[in-house]
Amino acid sequence: MVSFALSVFGVDWVFLKPYIVLGLALGGVYALSGVGVVVLYQATGVLNLAFGAIGAAGALIAYYLVNHTSWPHWVAYLACIVFGAAVNVVYGVLLGPAFAGRDPLVKMMGTLGLALILLGVMAWRAPAGGAFVRVLQLPTTNHRYEVFGAMVTLTQLLALAFALLLTIGTTAFLRFTKLGTAMRALASDREITATLGVPVRRVELVAWLGSGIVCGGAGLLLADLFTSLDYTALTFLVISSLAAALIGRLRSLWITLAGGLAVGLLQAVVTPYASITAYRTAAPFVLAIIALLYLGRHRTVTLSRTAG
Amino acid sequence: MQLADVSSSFTERGVLRRSAVIVVFLGIVLFVLPAVLGADWIKTLTAVAIYAVVAAGLVTLYGRVGMISLGQIALLAVGTWTATRIAFAFDLPFPLLLLVTGAITCGVGVIIGLPALRLSGLYLALITLMAAGAVNVVLTTINFPNGGGGFTGRTSTPDLSGLEPVGRPGIAEGDTAYYRYTIVVCAIMFLLIALHFASKPGRAWAAIRESEPAALAAGVNIVRYKLWAFALASFTTGVAGGLLAAQLGNPTAFGFPTQDSLTLLAAALIGGIYSLWGAVIAGLFSQLAPFLFQAQWGIDPNFLLIIFGVGLLQVLLTAPRGIVVQMPQDIRNLGRLGARLYHKVSGPRGET
Repeated sequence: MVSFALSVFGVDWVFLKPYIVLGLALGGVYALSGVGVVVLYQATGVLNLAFGAIGAAGALIAYYLVNHTSWPHWVAYLACIVFGAAVNVVYGVLLGPAFAGRDPLVKMMGTLGLALILLGVMAWRAPAGGAFVRVLQLPTTNHRYEVFGAMVTLTQLLALAFALLLTIGTTAFLRFTKLGTAMRALASDREITATLGVPVRRVELVAWLGSGIVCGGAGLLLADLFTSLDYTALTFLVISSLAAALIGRLRSLWITLAGGLAVGLLQAVVTPYASITAYRTAAPFVLAIIALLYLGRHRTVTLSRTAG
Repeated sequence: MQLADVSSSFTERGVLRRSAVIVVFLGIVLFVLPAVLGADWIKTLTAVAIYAVVAAGLVTLYGRVGMISLGQIALLAVGTWTATRIAFAFDLPFPLLLLVTGAITCGVGVIIGLPALRLSGLYLALITLMAAGAVNVVLTTINFPNGGGGFTGRTSTPDLSGLEPVGRPGIAEGDTAYYRYTIVVCAIMFLLIALHFASKPGRAWAAIRESEPAALAAGVNIVRYKLWAFALASFTTGVAGGLLAAQLGNPTAFGFPTQDSLTLLAAALIGGIYSLWGAVIAGLFSQLAPFLFQAQWGIDPNFLLIIFGVGLLQVLLTAPRGIVVQMPQDIRNLGRLGARLYHKVSGPRGET
């Protein structure tokens, strides 16, 4: 079916197969970070620009523990996840309530502040530069499989599976549990939810904790998939991974997952074409812009609360 | 954020005092600073003026109309690229080059802005960020013109003997002269924006910012005025890009990373997003502060990122109008506190 559709456009299916596999693997990265962003946005109403920075800082800690201590590696990986959870919870406890009644834009800029602080601390404590490159390789990267002529590592499969599980798990959690319902209520109106007797702060704390764990886990996987632990790149990877989140309109986890995969696919599939291959990294932005414009085609005047 | 009183700041009382302050400020910047500061300072201050104009675009878009653009640095890059391309293709007088660059960048800004107007708030901010990302990819691929032919104006084998930098105006070839030239052009851009704030568009923008439905009901053509704001901010940013092109001579794509759009917005918020003086402070923060930290004081410039982050959080939480309003207030409070302490020490006089 697909091969027929492709051959209609004069595309050689066999030739493209490895690129499609690679695209799905790459899409896993976008999907994973996109889903992570949407989960937090759904639960707390905060579009976390520090998502990448938290993950990068966690990965840096893991790198340090792996290379400079004799502790077992799993402790280092655990430390990364715990760090993500801790930073998120501290931010949520200290600043969450202060930002609660504010415009989503202000909340987003607040997390930019956190991202800048983390980036500054990382650059200060672990200066990058020169030929020195940090590499954090998960043991799963050593397992390679050949799928349709393309080499795929277990980490790439893990990222894809993690994104999928996260989507399924969060969807189920938000829909079927009491806490999840409270979270959804919280995301749409904090005041009314509080009036209904929901322990708002506690629910928010759980959301921050959960998303922090996702941040840490994603940071670990992304640091590996990125081949080198470049924390500036990881911090601002959030910009391109926002594309997947925007395709899902920051609302639908499933469309975000699909969007992430689509971005990865597009980016990989245009790789062999010389005329456009240099522009392939624009794929996330182009898809996000198209999606945003398509979804925003019905102009509505909304009465929003005064931005404050 | 309560801003009802800010929009009238240019028209009401104190116009004379305000003008006097501006004249003294410009006098110091134009004549005193070049006399006392070294060459690297002057280069840095030229960049400060250019980035202040970009920040003034943010003041227009967010401070006045309530729209956040996360793509201003990409727009600056478009301006710089356009100016470089035109400079290599034609032999235009410099002011004309700036005007044409401004007009083309204005067109690009409007093309991005027009469809984006259907979105609001967070989505508008994010679509500009996505556009900035796309522009950045395109620019890193085609790179800046270096004297080649065709649309991109780039050749892989540049004739090194003929590789001229973007020409500066004849009256301002040297760094100090070009600094003065930049200051004058930037002052004109600020004046252009200030005149908009003080007249009909400024009032329309204020109405849109406070409530879009109310503005609509009052007969404000929302699409027109929002586009106008985009056009104005893009034009001034384009002119700034032209200035930057001649300042750098041979600009490269590495000078305009997407994240700079985010950090510049942070700087503008810290400086004061509701005032043009805030834009000046934002320019100082984004260009002068790294120079001071690294070249002058020998402090790791990464501390600046931490200060930026803390400052951004502080501004968002406690001082939404930024340094430009907060600092005088704090100084006044401090003065009052000092006076009270003084009275306490010197004993009550008259009243109990």
